[in-house]
Amino acid sequence: MSEVLVRLEKVTKVYRLGEVEVPALRGVDLAVERGHSLALMGRSGSGKSTLLHILGLLDRATTGRVLWDGQDVTGFRADRLAELRGRHIGFVFQTFNLVPTLTAWENVELPLVFLGVPGRERRGRAQAILEQLGLGQRLRHGPHQLSGGEQQRVAIARALAPNPDLILADEPTGNLDSASGQEILKLLSDLHRQGRTLVMVTHDAEAAQIAERVLRLRDGMIAEGAP
Amino acid sequence: MTRDLFRLALRNIGHRRLRSWLTVIGILIGTAAVVALISIGQGLQRTITGQVERIVGFNTLIISPRTQGLGQRIRVDLGRLRAVPGVKSAMALRAETAYIEGPGGKAFYNVLGYDPAMDEFTAEFNLTLASGGRMTAPGQAILGSRAARELAAQVGSNLTVDGKPFTVVGVLLQQTRQTGGFGSPGISLNDAVIVSYEDFGALYPGPELALFAIVRLQDKVVVDTVKEEVRAVLRAGGERNASIIDFEDLTQRIRSVVSGVQAFLAGIAGISILVGGIGVMNTMFMAVLERTREIGVMKAVGAKGWQVLLVYLFESGLMGLGGGALGLVFGLGAAIAATTIVSRLYQVQNPITPALSVGLIFGALLFSFVVGALSGVLPARRAAQLPPVEALRYE
Ligand SMILES: Nc1ncnc2c1ncn2[C@@H]1O[C@H](COP(=O)(O)OP(=O)(O)OP(=O)(O)O)[C@@H](O)[C@H]1O
Ligand SMILES: [Mg+2]
Repeated sequence: MSEVLVRLEKVTKVYRLGEVEVPALRGVDLAVERGHSLALMGRSGSGKSTLLHILGLLDRATTGRVLWDGQDVTGFRADRLAELRGRHIGFVFQTFNLVPTLTAWENVELPLVFLGVPGRERRGRAQAILEQLGLGQRLRHGPHQLSGGEQQRVAIARALAPNPDLILADEPTGNLDSASGQEILKLLSDLHRQGRTLVMVTHDAEAAQIAERVLRLRDGMIAEGAP
Repeated sequence: MTRDLFRLALRNIGHRRLRSWLTVIGILIGTAAVVALISIGQGLQRTITGQVERIVGFNTLIISPRTQGLGQRIRVDLGRLRAVPGVKSAMALRAETAYIEGPGGKAFYNVLGYDPAMDEFTAEFNLTLASGGRMTAPGQAILGSRAARELAAQVGSNLTVDGKPFTVVGVLLQQTRQTGGFGSPGISLNDAVIVSYEDFGALYPGPELALFAIVRLQDKVVVDTVKEEVRAVLRAGGERNASIIDFEDLTQRIRSVVSGVQAFLAGIAGISILVGGIGVMNTMFMAVLERTREIGVMKAVGAKGWQVLLVYLFESGLMGLGGGALGLVFGLGAAIAATTIVSRLYQVQNPITPALSVGLIFGALLFSFVVGALSGVLPARRAAQLPPVEALRYE
């Protein structure tokens, strides 16, 4: 059974900077299957992040279609996309992107707040996830009180909070030393082994090995490993 | 959910305490000024109406010429006024110029026809005697201080008023105010020769022309009904130019003057709250700019536009409310301080105490919250509409 979670059809993305048009994606066809893992590689500027954002319904394609779970979401309004993101997709960023004014615990609760999960349940779930990731002693710490590796684990905990179908990670080890980087990679590959769908952007060929499939982007097009 | 968004807003304010304080100062000062002015105004109104009530009372009609001025008289008939159902008593003050001859001089003076029943008013008007006593029998007179001096008269002296003999039974204290409180322009009590109302009637027979008249009503009568009757009696006597004022009219007039001034001042102060709102708007725009990435993160984890909007509206509304609440406290403090100082300085008999009504409290809080929230509308909308990817890329 290979059910397709997200499918991109002839997706292009053009950034407009005043008069200048910057083509970031030039016709990408891609299917991410449920339970699979995928690494996106390529030079800087090849369009990896752009592709990841479109897969995660965070950005819109300029042309082409995006199907989420078989449904064409290309024309969905922003709030409906936000709802889908909140429920089904977890993002992990290179720079962690924790909210600095909130504790680790509250950061993990955040996606659940926007989903309207009641406070008690929310706190319980966030705590359980943080404990699973070995951050039980760090619940009330602010991001600035945590090491880079710890921050990234909090970010992964936050991505996991709504129990999403898809985890998207954009160079998750890019800002970490190699030891913490290894830990994070181990964590992500564990998550995949537990059945989560994972798409990870990376520069590191070694890191890419945790994925079942490696896709190479060149100048906004898939150069290698296409289905 | 809404509560959680509210808590997020609270956290945001808490994390930049100093700037939040500075931001709300505008709203604080504005609210303080409005609260101080209105509470003093309401207190003043209460004091004045209280005083009017004490002097004039609920059951009193004051009849006076509609146009004030020297020589203005109203034509009354106290006998017929007393006969109106519901009237307890009626009295009037009359005045004419008369030629007076005393032991040491002769000249023209104002003669007042005074009804001793008016004593209950005169206490308030400072009509106090320097020597002698009150009039108890016909043919007695009380002199104003200057008249007594010029006529070289004292208690026990004999005078003639337009040729008729009178005995001085009292001399008034020197009056500093021009009218001595009778409210009729041009008549100084210092120059007055006061005789009884009856003697005055004998001196000047004919229609009763009075400076003003006072009608006391019986308890539990309908003021308006009696007022109409009184008006009818005046009309029948040929007087069409009299105004009849009751307690309600008086307090109404006072209230409208005080609240007019008050509304004007509070309006000006209210503008400063709006200016304070601009401060909030500025801070909110800065906050949205500073937290652009954070807003991107919120959206990445599933925040909808309206949720982001609410967080920022709450934030600005809370700042407004905080400023308003503090302003309320400061304003009331200022009002108490101001009235205390003024009362001490002028030795007011009936000190004004600021009145803090429930409406004022809620009005001030609501207004400051709304100003704060409205100031946040534009920044919050900007935050809500930020495209998530661009927000995340923002440095
Ligand atoms: N918001 C934007 N406005 C203009 N151009 C953009 C924008 N975002 C990306 N680009 C351009 O689109 C192209 C692809 O960018 P993208 O960020 O997807 O590359 P990437 O593969 O993730 O690069 P890196 O490895 O450096 O992160 C680049 O040429 C980049 O300059
Ligand atoms: Mg990138």
